[in-house]
Amino acid sequence: MIMPEDRTESQGELREIELPRFGTCSYRNEEVLHFAWGLPGFTHLRRFLALSLAGQERFVWLQSLDDTAIALPTTNPYDIFADYDPKFPVSALGSLGIARADDFVVMCVCIVAKDAAEMSCNLLAPIVINLRERTGRQITLEGSSYSVKVPIPRKPVGSPAPSEAPV
Amino acid sequence: MLVLSRKLNQSIMIGDDVRIVVVSVDRDTVKLGIEAPRAIPVHRSEVYEEIQLSNRAAASGPALGENVAKPGIAVLGTLQPAKLMPQKKAKP
Repeated sequence: MIMPEDRTESQGELREIELPRFGTCSYRNEEVLHFAWGLPGFTHLRRFLALSLAGQERFVWLQSLDDTAIALPTTNPYDIFADYDPKFPVSALGSLGIARADDFVVMCVCIVAKDAAEMSCNLLAPIVINLRERTGRQITLEGSSYSVKVPIPRKPVGSPAPSEAPV
Repeated sequence: MLVLSRKLNQSIMIGDDVRIVVVSVDRDTVKLGIEAPRAIPVHRSEVYEEIQLSNRAAASGPALGENVAKPGIAVLGTLQPAKLMPQKKAKP
């Protein structure tokens, strides 16, 4: 588990940014996540913040700092699909400098909709973030049977239901 | 587009460190071997395009509820695994 020790070590300057979707947000340089390859569809965007919103703890928004109009909602896939079992190519994890399971988190991009029945989650290409290096990459699980558009059931499958209200 | 003819087991180099080998040819299916530095993502085009479309759709989704624009944003500055990862250990 990564402790926020490097945060206290170098409390960088607090910066403010105006986000079209979320309003004013402040962050420190060391909170920025670096996606060296961008994301498919947004390969020119390299720097992101991970935002959580009050009352929407199920989602983490990947907010671009290079184009503030772009933010992608992501979620912890294991909360929804307890048996999710991505087989990451070792080369892809290696490119993120990941050696141990504690080093990284897995998040899946969601398509949200007003109608909860239309919400879906991309299990084919999860986003992996190295917490130590603060680098990330969307990794395609080539050869897996997962889809980019898996409907999000209203209740989690096979895992304890989160206590917060459904979004 | 540059078009090159290759026979079985012949290859092409892209830059200094990407090599593509024709591994087998069977009717209309060509198997290619790709040697590239692990930092370089390699995708089947149709899968890549699917992910592109999905990401764009995700970024243009509606706001969730009315409370989105209100204060309450917290940067997960430390991206605490405890919060994001009450999940079984992923296998690298």
